[in-house]
Amino acid sequence: MAPKVPPQPTLEQSSTAVEAGHGHAHAAPPKGIMRWLLTTNHKEIGSLYLIFSLIMFFIGGIFALVVRAELFQPGLNLVNPEFFNQMTTMHGLIMVFAAVMPAFTGLANWMIPLQIGAPDMALPRLNNFSFWLLPVAFTLLLSTLFMPGGGPNFGWTFYAPLSTTYAPPSTTFFILALHIAGVSSILGAINIIATILNMRAPGMRMMDMPLFVWTWLITAFLLIAVMPVLAGVITMMLMDINFGTSFFNAAGGGDPVLFQHLFWFFGHPEVYIMILPAFGIVSAIIPAFARKRLFGYASMVYATSAIALLSFLVWGHHMFAVGMPLAGQLFFMYSTMLIAVPTGVKVFNWVTTLFRGSISFEPPMLFALAFVVLFTIGGFSGLMLAIAPADFQYHDTYFVVAHFHYVLVPGAVFSIMAGVYFWLPKWTGHYPHLRLSQWHFWLSVIGVNLTFFPMHFAGLAGMPRRIPDYALQFADFNLVSTVGAFMFGFSQLLFVAVVVLCVRGGKKAPAQAWGEYADDLEWTVPSPAPLHTFETPPTFQRPAH
Amino acid sequence: MRTLLVWLAGGLSLVGSSQAALASGWNMPVGVTDLSREIYTLHMAIFWICVVIGVIVFGVMFYSLIRYRHSKGAKAANFHENTTVEILWTAVPLLILIGMAVPATATLQKIYDPSDAELDVMITGQQWRWRYEYLGEDVAFNSNMSTPRAQIRGEEERGENYLLEVDEPLVLPINRKVRFLFTSDDVIHAWWVPDFAVKQDTIPGFITENWVNINEPGIYRGQCAELCGVDHGFMPIVVHAMEEDDFDTWLAERQEAAAEEALGVDREWEMDELMERGESVYGSICSSCHQPEGQGSPPAFPALAGNEEMLADIEWHKDTIINGVSGTAMPSFRTTLNPVELAAVITYTRNAWGNDTGDAVQPSEIAERLER
Amino acid sequence: MWGVIKSVLAAFLGVQKDQQRRADFEHGSAAAFIVVGVVMTAVLVGVIAMVAILAAR
Repeated sequence: MAPKVPPQPTLEQSSTAVEAGHGHAHAAPPKGIMRWLLTTNHKEIGSLYLIFSLIMFFIGGIFALVVRAELFQPGLNLVNPEFFNQMTTMHGLIMVFAAVMPAFTGLANWMIPLQIGAPDMALPRLNNFSFWLLPVAFTLLLSTLFMPGGGPNFGWTFYAPLSTTYAPPSTTFFILALHIAGVSSILGAINIIATILNMRAPGMRMMDMPLFVWTWLITAFLLIAVMPVLAGVITMMLMDINFGTSFFNAAGGGDPVLFQHLFWFFGHPEVYIMILPAFGIVSAIIPAFARKRLFGYASMVYATSAIALLSFLVWGHHMFAVGMPLAGQLFFMYSTMLIAVPTGVKVFNWVTTLFRGSISFEPPMLFALAFVVLFTIGGFSGLMLAIAPADFQYHDTYFVVAHFHYVLVPGAVFSIMAGVYFWLPKWTGHYPHLRLSQWHFWLSVIGVNLTFFPMHFAGLAGMPRRIPDYALQFADFNLVSTVGAFMFGFSQLLFVAVVVLCVRGGKKAPAQAWGEYADDLEWTVPSPAPLHTFETPPTFQRPAH
Repeated sequence: MRTLLVWLAGGLSLVGSSQAALASGWNMPVGVTDLSREIYTLHMAIFWICVVIGVIVFGVMFYSLIRYRHSKGAKAANFHENTTVEILWTAVPLLILIGMAVPATATLQKIYDPSDAELDVMITGQQWRWRYEYLGEDVAFNSNMSTPRAQIRGEEERGENYLLEVDEPLVLPINRKVRFLFTSDDVIHAWWVPDFAVKQDTIPGFITENWVNINEPGIYRGQCAELCGVDHGFMPIVVHAMEEDDFDTWLAERQEAAAEEALGVDREWEMDELMERGESVYGSICSSCHQPEGQGSPPAFPALAGNEEMLADIEWHKDTIINGVSGTAMPSFRTTLNPVELAAVITYTRNAWGNDTGDAVQPSEIAERLER
Repeated sequence: MWGVIKSVLAAFLGVQKDQQRRADFEHGSAAAFIVVGVVMTAVLVGVIAMVAILAAR
């Protein structure tokens, strides 16, 4: 895993960046692999996170393509159902815990200190540790595929007792891997909170922070609140499997539904952990290319907080079919519908920011605009799913698969790509290749819709999730989905090409790479950002416009 | 941008083309119960609300994208707040949502009222079949997928109801309120028939309920909707809804057959009879895990052919099948199978695939054991 | 106190006048906002639960 990283500026270059010509007392960093193992620099750790998540994005993507290839036509054609279940499970686990979450953490590492004018993260060694836990966790998780009995095959939601009494022997390793990943997330979140609360540039108040910082602050609190719940539930599984307890085993007086309550109490805020930082990125990009201040900054902050609070009250909407009491059913339906309001506020704010702007369509903007449209479509299907009686028909069908992929792929993933395109000039000193980026965008946006839009129809027509073979009336939808999935998957190679080319060279970018409306603090340091920035805190000044 | 617009417009018009097209496999079925119709109406209502909001929001967005292009020399305005507009777009969605919550609540209240049912059916999920028990009627049977494996592997042409056909469908009367009680013997399954708009998880150790009152006779198909292991995709549901008279006739026939079967417990069975019956029981109940040739798929599902522990100890063998093995995937078949079936399948597994022990287990012996 | 409640209510809706927001951030104490915020969240949960329980009867 030789990491490809932005070219690091030499010592001379970086000292030019230091304001007021500060002397440089840093020892030369260790060379080779040790440099990366021991680094405490937020930019290097940020790059490590991003490279790791990109590798995992491709591994999870290959799993998805195995699933899609099997579903290309009716019948069992490529893999057996046992392996199919392992693929759907691993795809979900890897994409959620190893691709999307670390990608956002990587962006946070790179950008939060730069955006608040801090020299580094508050706890740099902890930062190094939280990253290096991840390769350990996911090597362990992926290794379960080669163990006797195979890897996890019970879906990424691992409902007991399928994941306890009936699980393959490797499940204990799966639990350990998730524990390690969870520790990494919690440590990362503590670090981010400490950085944001303590290390802002003099003069920067909370309500002056860029929205990416705000959304990450709230996300970090969510992480600290719910990762221990996940740790608890998987520990209970561990006890059930290895130590003869019966938390989830009905034969021993346990309750399988308890598992779902605990899992979704973690799982629903987890959904927002994967989307709130995306809101922050998009809220930075849209004003930059609409050349107009973000509409309703304060309401964006409030809406994000409201979504975070409400996210703790809606877990039951994943469980409408378990037979909750009517009052419970109604409570979760009402609270879920309420969440649509702050989410709507965000979309309206973005659209109003565009209104009477002066809009251009650079690659980050393309992805951000696609995010707004496609995330909103995912929001609409979410609203439909909130209607409990109708959910009896949608639940556990491809309609749900379509819904959460719209929120996560053209939602979270597109926002990450938008962020990468947006900040590449800052990281590398070069603009991404325009034509290639445009190809990447259009192939992705078409691929993603071809993949996931037909899934709405397949689900409504009655196709359940997580089946390796299907009745003949679903054949056309699945064929289109598979074609789209391969198109989307392979077009991500273009993304790699763009990033590699951008690291190597390209059109030189100035410090303020995207014009005067991308005016947060990161744009005041040179491009590429030197290894050490803001060693003397900048004085924060509120934007003029 | 324009391509995106065209794609979206295409997608939306596809969705909204016509009610008729929607009904034919692109949309939720309207279904054959009052409640399924109500749910369909709710679904279409919220769908059209989303479409209208979408048209407005995306309309403004794409208008802005086209009208205020930097390349056409657009100059940005300088506004970033408007309390009136913000209150408006918070309040209006809130009102729309309340408008949706009211009918949804009403429908939910009806779904949650299984009182005055005329027939109770216990539905038990098992890896990977359904068991139906007409409570108080002495009729119970298992329902397995009947699509041949050869079709799945593509060696035979696939039939019209590929993966959606069973050996014994659930038979229900129309125009009678039927209450379902759901439970599971192993993992969580979900019983779902789209035409009834009934989807209910079956949870081991718990009983959940739901109900249906079918308006039209016909054959309705569904599938298990909760991942339940390797054959999750292969446990379909078929319901045969009959006129009330036909149903009563059917039920009487089944009761008679059940009574006849009960008589069989007391008589002595020949080895051949037991083997024949055992083979069919094995094929529908055991082979999905232990495989048709008894080779199993270790480590989860041990091989039965040449299984020394099983062949050495007949009492252990009986106990395992009747009571299951706790902490493993082996369920108890105490209630799933009747004494004849239990005896037959024990005999079969002790004599098939070269196990040739010569042991014949009599139903009477099993019945006695069950009573202890 | 009433001012704090009003501001928190505005935050629940996600709407606030810029002036008022500035005033809150300059004169209000963070602790008051957090306490009122938590209490009002509890009230919100209570209200939704009440409506649900009443509707379920």
